[in-house]
Amino acid sequence: MNRALPEMLHCLNMPGNVASGGGTADISVLERQRARMKWQQDQHFLIGNHELNVFSAQQLHQLQGSVSNDPGFAEYVTRALKPDPGMESGWPDVGKFGGDDHLGYGACGYGNVSGIEMNYEAIARTVSCPPTVAAAISEAAVTETKGKESILPEKLNSAAGRESFKKRKADKNHNLKVVAEEDVKDKRIKGCAEEGDSKITEQNSSSKANISNNNNRETSTDTSTKENSKVTEVQKPDYIHVRARRGQATDSHSLAERVRREKISERMKYLQDLVPGCNKITGKAGMLDEIINYVQSLQRQVEFLSMKLAAVNPRLDFNIENIFTKEIFPACASTYPTIEVSSEMANPAYFQLSPLQQVVSCCGLEMGINPPDMALKRTTSAPVSIPETFLDSSCFNQIQATSTWDSELQNLYSMEFQQGRSTTFPSQTFTGSIEGGNLKMEM
Amino acid sequence: MHSPSQLKRDFLKQWLKGLQMCSYPKKEMSILERKKAIKLSADVAMASARNATSCWGLALIANASKEGNDKCLVEHLLGQESERGKMASTFQLAILHKKLRSKKIIKKSCSVRRVKKLTPRMVLASSVAKRLVKNRTKVLKSLVPGGESMDEFSLIKETLDYIVSLRVQVDVMRCLANASDLLNCKGVHG
Repeated sequence: MNRALPEMLHCLNMPGNVASGGGTADISVLERQRARMKWQQDQHFLIGNHELNVFSAQQLHQLQGSVSNDPGFAEYVTRALKPDPGMESGWPDVGKFGGDDHLGYGACGYGNVSGIEMNYEAIARTVSCPPTVAAAISEAAVTETKGKESILPEKLNSAAGRESFKKRKADKNHNLKVVAEEDVKDKRIKGCAEEGDSKITEQNSSSKANISNNNNRETSTDTSTKENSKVTEVQKPDYIHVRARRGQATDSHSLAERVRREKISERMKYLQDLVPGCNKITGKAGMLDEIINYVQSLQRQVEFLSMKLAAVNPRLDFNIENIFTKEIFPACASTYPTIEVSSEMANPAYFQLSPLQQVVSCCGLEMGINPPDMALKRTTSAPVSIPETFLDSSCFNQIQATSTWDSELQNLYSMEFQQGRSTTFPSQTFTGSIEGGNLKMEM
Repeated sequence: MHSPSQLKRDFLKQWLKGLQMCSYPKKEMSILERKKAIKLSADVAMASARNATSCWGLALIANASKEGNDKCLVEHLLGQESERGKMASTFQLAILHKKLRSKKIIKKSCSVRRVKKLTPRMVLASSVAKRLVKNRTKVLKSLVPGGESMDEFSLIKETLDYIVSLRVQVDVMRCLANASDLLNCKGVHG
């Protein structure tokens, strides 16, 4: 089955998916992992419900039907699964670990491809079902060969994470000498990708330096109980299989602590993707800082926009039909130079911001509404139906403009404060903005 | 889960509904009142558009329902589910608070302090880092609605959710504001 691996690698058109094994595996593996994490959101809602023996050939066919973007993979999956009668064997034995390696890899690859095509901005809870099915199938199918250690354990992570697994503290003692590929199998998806990451970088060597060795840390039992309660929220009493790695303490507290830490760091990675400008920052504190700034700026934007809407509409009537039927969009290019003179604005401070706004919005609107008659058609059918492009395209432009917005907004608020007009905004958000402004300047 | 555009549409629909309800009782409102109404209906619409899958949404609705003025608005907005939703949200929040408090009590009573034998320098660095993270988590908890009753792990998940929803909210509001701006100016000039 080892020769199937290169085939598999070719099947999946992933960026950076050229790992020929060995030395180059690290970088491509990490890249793949990053890409994969983009879609691995909130898997634990789905994890607990999927026992291994639930999946039958029928579901496999469903999966194949739904794999539209990677026909090579579907073919591979069927090919690989056919010689495996043990697909419905339930929980694989402890001894048979490395077995389902390449299928796990395949499943992850599929997940990757579909994930990249999805808009990762949506927290896709139900869309991830097919990958879950694929993963569970891959887990159920216990194959023989171990394959390449360097690549596969990493893929095992995400596949393994989708299982339901149990935490048996007694087993930990047996597994002191177990090497990485075995203990990732049972971890939750949140924790295991991070683990796999670290394991790959160290090539299964003894010292896991990047996991801080706070073995004697005060890990209370309630972290493990918390985890169990988190696990049980998935409607089934699942446990977490955690195995000790080489050179690590087997203390249940420290293991639980490690799992928890890895879960947290994996989630921080999602946040890194979501918050712009977080890529360069690696520390937890710095990233939390960025997140706080971002949330604050978004909240301020909401306040500001609601104020603006209040100023624009004296009667709180927003006639969507008017907006669309009046052929705004072709006319916007001509009207926007004149928009600056907007006397309805109550606060002259907003006034200065409006030219920037208009430019941004007009770029967005022009892009989005190329066929204005499409808008007209829609309005006749339903008054509240909104053309998707209207909302979508402008949003992309404006998301990129958000960073410029931040500085503008901060200027705005500082101006307001000096003019003593801060009464309209809650003081809490305002002080946050000052702090945020200071922080940004210091950085 | 919804795609972003579908989320935007849901949000917009709910929001406009809420705004119509707002404008019904009073005809003349000051700008501040209007702004509050707009923001409130936007927030509630956002929270309900998430269909109570997020903790912060429940917290937001619960907070909004506490105040007397907005209560009726929230009820109208949520419609049929209002009774169920509100009860569920307040109930869940109360439970969460209780859970958290009891956990803290247990922690304090049962924890054994283990002394770390580290060099002074190491102690300083790690404790400083921990303190920083703790402070920032506190700030984040205050930002995200309902964040106080969450542990760090779910706090991050809620933040993710909240950020996405805020973004959607901002985009939709921005589009609407620009569009109505253009509309008004067009009406003024020609």
